[in-house]
Amino acid sequence: MTVDPNAVTQDFPSPQNRHRRPQPARYLVPALVAGAVAVALGVYGKVHDPTGTAFNLAGFSSTGAVKSWLATTALFFALVQLVSAFMVYGKLPGPAWSSALHRWSGRFAFLVSVPVAVHCLYAMGYQTYETRVFWHSLLGCFFFGAFSAKMLLLRSERLPGWLLPIVGGLVLTTLTIIWLTSALWFFRTFGVTT
Amino acid sequence: MKRPGPLLTLLAGLLVGVFMLSFNAATGTKNTSSSSPDTTADTTKESQSPAATASPTPTPTRTTPPPSPSPTTAPVPDAGYAGRTDDDSSAVALTLRDGRAIAYFCDGRAKESWLKGEVTDDGTMRLTGKDGSVLNGTIQQGVGVPPLERSREWGRIRGTVDIDGGHYAFTADRTKKPSGLYRATATVRGAKVDGGWIVLQDGRQVGLLTREGQPSRAPRLDPETGTVPVDGQQLTARRATP
Repeated sequence: MTVDPNAVTQDFPSPQNRHRRPQPARYLVPALVAGAVAVALGVYGKVHDPTGTAFNLAGFSSTGAVKSWLATTALFFALVQLVSAFMVYGKLPGPAWSSALHRWSGRFAFLVSVPVAVHCLYAMGYQTYETRVFWHSLLGCFFFGAFSAKMLLLRSERLPGWLLPIVGGLVLTTLTIIWLTSALWFFRTFGVTT
Repeated sequence: MKRPGPLLTLLAGLLVGVFMLSFNAATGTKNTSSSSPDTTADTTKESQSPAATASPTPTPTRTTPPPSPSPTTAPVPDAGYAGRTDDDSSAVALTLRDGRAIAYFCDGRAKESWLKGEVTDDGTMRLTGKDGSVLNGTIQQGVGVPPLERSREWGRIRGTVDIDGGHYAFTADRTKKPSGLYRATATVRGAKVDGGWIVLQDGRQVGLLTREGQPSRAPRLDPETGTVPVDGQQLTARRATP
């Protein structure tokens, strides 16, 4: 006897539902990429022997100050993201270019955050010796995974309307906690210095 | 799959990251060997980073046994430390310079001691006071504050103080001006005055003022200027150095 052809098709959604059939790849690919990015960063930070020092920028007293200000810049643009997202979704009155504002402030925030993350992973690594440090390490890796997911989700159309705001909010929340556990701590400990 | 923008954003971030990483790997050793005075830590870094960049496996570094325990052989940095005892009753501050250390133990009410001694290259110290008190401590480099400028700049001292039959464990973190250890000795209206202040990292102060051998709670020191009013006179406390 051969396999009953109906047995296979019964596992799939019935044809009537095809117009709203979920395509797992749409969610799976961003989710898998996000997990891979976060885990890869964490593993690199854990395995790589932290060097302790790295580049510094002229005019700044320490790399900690450089990073704190870069992170603060990123957080500022992330807040622009929040406001412009409300504009794009029509929850706030906004100009016609609010979409462009959202895109470019996001890009800028991301690009500013990359050197900070590189320094973190290169010079300090993934550390867990304090609660603050643990959460910062964990969420720092999570952030770039979540951001990758957000970027990849943007490319899909016909997503549930709530998905992008949720993921975007997750990215913003993560970045805020990362900032609180690093730059704010730095400014409180060493003063608002450059 | 129509919008290339998000992918380009990710790609740009990746490029920036890879560029910074290779820039760091390429320049890191040059910068440290030319500019910074810390020599021994850099030799370990130089011996490790080429291996790390050349091959992802960390095993090659194991062929040279000295690097791994070498942070302890680096010269002890000149630095100030301050913190409280584990039972929160007292404070301890230390100033290290050129392999010597001065420490001050103070409970802010009656008990105090100034201790002095040598710091060995592996970061341990045994300081003694004239009253027979003893401080044993160890610098734990790269602990307490994230390795911003790791073992060279940061660290904390864990140790114990034995004074008047009491045994106090303490943890002292690195200080940054104006926190630290201050001392003022003077003669005010014919009375010998000796004051010690520990200005903790959060700005709190623990201090004692001894007039002709009689200890009392010290008036608040202005950490910015070091001035302190004592019996109507302005004294200036100096940062204590060994």
